[in-house]
Amino acid sequence: MSRVESSVGIHGWGAYVPRARLPMSEIAREWGWSEHQWKALGMIEKAVAAFDEDSTTMGVEAALNAIKRAGVRGEEIGAVFFGSESKPYAVKPSATIIAEALGITPITMASDLEFACRAASEGMRASIGLIASGMLKYTLVVGSDTAQASPGDVLEFTASSGAAAFVLGRAEGAAAVFEGSFTYVTDTPDFWRREGAPYPSHGEGFTGEPAYFKHITEAVKGLLGELGLRPSDFSYAVFHQPNGKFPVRVGEMLGFRQEQMKVGLVTPQIGNTYNGSALIGLSRVLDHAKAGERILVAPFGSGAGSDAYSIVVTEAIEERRGRAPSVDHYIKNKRNISYSEYVKMRRILVK
Amino acid sequence: MFVTRVAMEKVDRHYEKGVRELAAGVARKALEGVDGVDYVIVASSLSYLQEPQLDLGAHLASALGLKGTRALNVEAGEASGLAAAEMASALLKGKASRVLVVGVDKLTNFPSAETYAHLSLLYDESISTYSSGFGSVAGILMRLYMERYGVDRLTMAHWPALMHSNAKHNPYAMLRFAIAPEKVLEAMPMADPITLMDSFPLGDGAAAVLLESKPRDALAELVAVESAVGPASVAWSEDPLFIEPLALAFNRLSERYQVGEVDLVELHDSFTITALMVLESMGLEERGKAAEAVASGRFSPNGELPVNPSGGLKARGHPIGATGVYQLAEVALQLAGSFPGLKVEGAKRGLAVSVNGFGSSAYVAYLRGVL
Amino acid sequence: MVRTPPVVWRSRVHRYRLVGSKCKSCGEVYYPKIFSCPCGGEAEEVELPKVGRLISYSVVYAVDEESRDRSPVIVGLIDLGVTRLVGEIVDVTPEEVKSGMHVEAVFRRIGEAGERGVIVYGLKFRPVM
Repeated sequence: MSRVESSVGIHGWGAYVPRARLPMSEIAREWGWSEHQWKALGMIEKAVAAFDEDSTTMGVEAALNAIKRAGVRGEEIGAVFFGSESKPYAVKPSATIIAEALGITPITMASDLEFACRAASEGMRASIGLIASGMLKYTLVVGSDTAQASPGDVLEFTASSGAAAFVLGRAEGAAAVFEGSFTYVTDTPDFWRREGAPYPSHGEGFTGEPAYFKHITEAVKGLLGELGLRPSDFSYAVFHQPNGKFPVRVGEMLGFRQEQMKVGLVTPQIGNTYNGSALIGLSRVLDHAKAGERILVAPFGSGAGSDAYSIVVTEAIEERRGRAPSVDHYIKNKRNISYSEYVKMRRILVK
Repeated sequence: MFVTRVAMEKVDRHYEKGVRELAAGVARKALEGVDGVDYVIVASSLSYLQEPQLDLGAHLASALGLKGTRALNVEAGEASGLAAAEMASALLKGKASRVLVVGVDKLTNFPSAETYAHLSLLYDESISTYSSGFGSVAGILMRLYMERYGVDRLTMAHWPALMHSNAKHNPYAMLRFAIAPEKVLEAMPMADPITLMDSFPLGDGAAAVLLESKPRDALAELVAVESAVGPASVAWSEDPLFIEPLALAFNRLSERYQVGEVDLVELHDSFTITALMVLESMGLEERGKAAEAVASGRFSPNGELPVNPSGGLKARGHPIGATGVYQLAEVALQLAGSFPGLKVEGAKRGLAVSVNGFGSSAYVAYLRGVL
Repeated sequence: MVRTPPVVWRSRVHRYRLVGSKCKSCGEVYYPKIFSCPCGGEAEEVELPKVGRLISYSVVYAVDEESRDRSPVIVGLIDLGVTRLVGEIVDVTPEEVKSGMHVEAVFRRIGEAGERGVIVYGLKFRPVM
């Protein structure tokens, strides 16, 4: 029996990474960390949104790229799901701003989702249902964050800015088609930000085994079990990547090899873009993948939960690729900044 | 119509005086011994943001004890002063025989960065909406001029140097010190390639002229004021370096008077580039040649056509809505031979020229001596 | 621009999608929008091209108070082919910006009504990716 997911596919994908890069050495110098601290995290530098950027503006840019690749008109999109934990407005949807900017309004669903770093992924799973049921033709899923980190916290090495977006629709004509999806959630307080607090708090080591590793491995095992697939059946594996080390370790725990994970691992160059993390990784994989290749993607969100998707690339991917800038294009288009510029750009400076 | 009395306040940071005190000071001086006026027209622009008072004309008339007179406000940005004069000339052709025009503005009630935001409202919304600084358009045009005509930065700097040299002699000028062209380049960058020395200073001021339909005791004849509106954005000009409405207003005067043969001009030089554009748009210099002409002394006090012996907006100062009234007063005094600064000897005809921004509107006033 | 909800709201589409005016008679295009063309023709709304060429620019240091943290601000006169406009140039340093450069629209914050008020979004321009 064919699964519901197989009637839905990715028509367009797009990423956005802001131009400024803060090298790890700058943060270490500012706060008196040893270089072993960031090298242990597998990090090189992180992307920093400009003074006039926020999760909404980056979301618009990523979505524009996804729509260009999909070749659809704004009015054909029936839902906009915006996943972020750094919303410019605490109350007032960013999804409507994005929808208006892209000509999707007014006949559309639109909402902001919150589930730490996997909010956008929830939008992707919900989209599969909405499209498979025949209720909607296309949906737009956007994951975007200007991740906050308390200055001096170890989180500052990784928390960065970026966005990814996908236009989902019926499998016919899609650049990649879903094969299956699986979600695993529990109430696990590994990382949170209380209402009104400017920076998140975390449980240090507690973010690892009971949270990140437990949820991702359960979601991926659940998916593989349902589909009857093994890690070796995949050309690529992309995991949520809070640093450069966790995704590699969780992949190895599940039986994936380094080569399968290499293309989708972008955190060392751009940092952890939270809702963009695994999804920018997926965008980069789609920038490279060939027809027939199978991709595993597993976003994770604190609090906690993980989704796992199996996606198979189609022939249509080739003509879509060149319609918008690749993830690598954004990674290469950079300008290094100092810690003090970073403080100004991210509005950390108290005047 | 005739200019019979003028009064000016030195352009300066008048921290101790508000808009009404500044205006009342020059108005009282211009009205000394005068038995009432039919109209008071107040020209003011930035004061509506810096020291808000609606119905300013009536409030000022009341403060001056001008019971029962008629009062109006005119706001036309940087051209408010000459706009008020144009309105006065229309009234003088009708039921009025004596009109007091008072120009007043205040630019120092706020920190400069907030005044910059106020000044950006002189331009179209693409400047104010983006909070990108009021000098940006001038910077864009100056670079365009230099790149298009191959003029170097130092040549451009002769304009502010000339203005400072002229202002030294003007007791009403804000910046009464000479600067070498080289120093203009070394000043703080404002809107690169523009430095602070290419721009008018932030100062407060007030000036008044009494206009009458009869020539008794006149300093000069105000022959005519012409104006035209232009594209609100420089992006809409056929050629951004050409102030179309100014050419139009000037042509309207030329059709009736020999304004090409004047002896002096007080013109609008909010920035160095504005001065060059005004000179070229009026045909007083060939396109692309004004900077070199300035450097060669053509517009110096002893040159072919003395321009801005007052020091201009650059050095006399530019209290936005009041500037046109200063220019009228200065040209009238020159034609009467009684300007207290650099005199243009034997001057018989003069022009005052105002522009808002880079041409949303432009005004030209033509004055003749009565001696 | 006054940053109250009605003002920010009614011009949102013009700012977000670069919607200007086109004259139905002579075809002339304007941004920001106009209400009737100097030729006397009626104007209709039209979405403008998002790519253009930088005619000239200024690196502004004397900025408004709220732009202090992103100073200097680069502002350019941009030729979109169908019309020209004045816009902010981002993602480029004063050393990198050059007249003649090709630029494209990018969605950015263009202001906010203080820390608690509405955020104003719109398009700026960056060097073509």
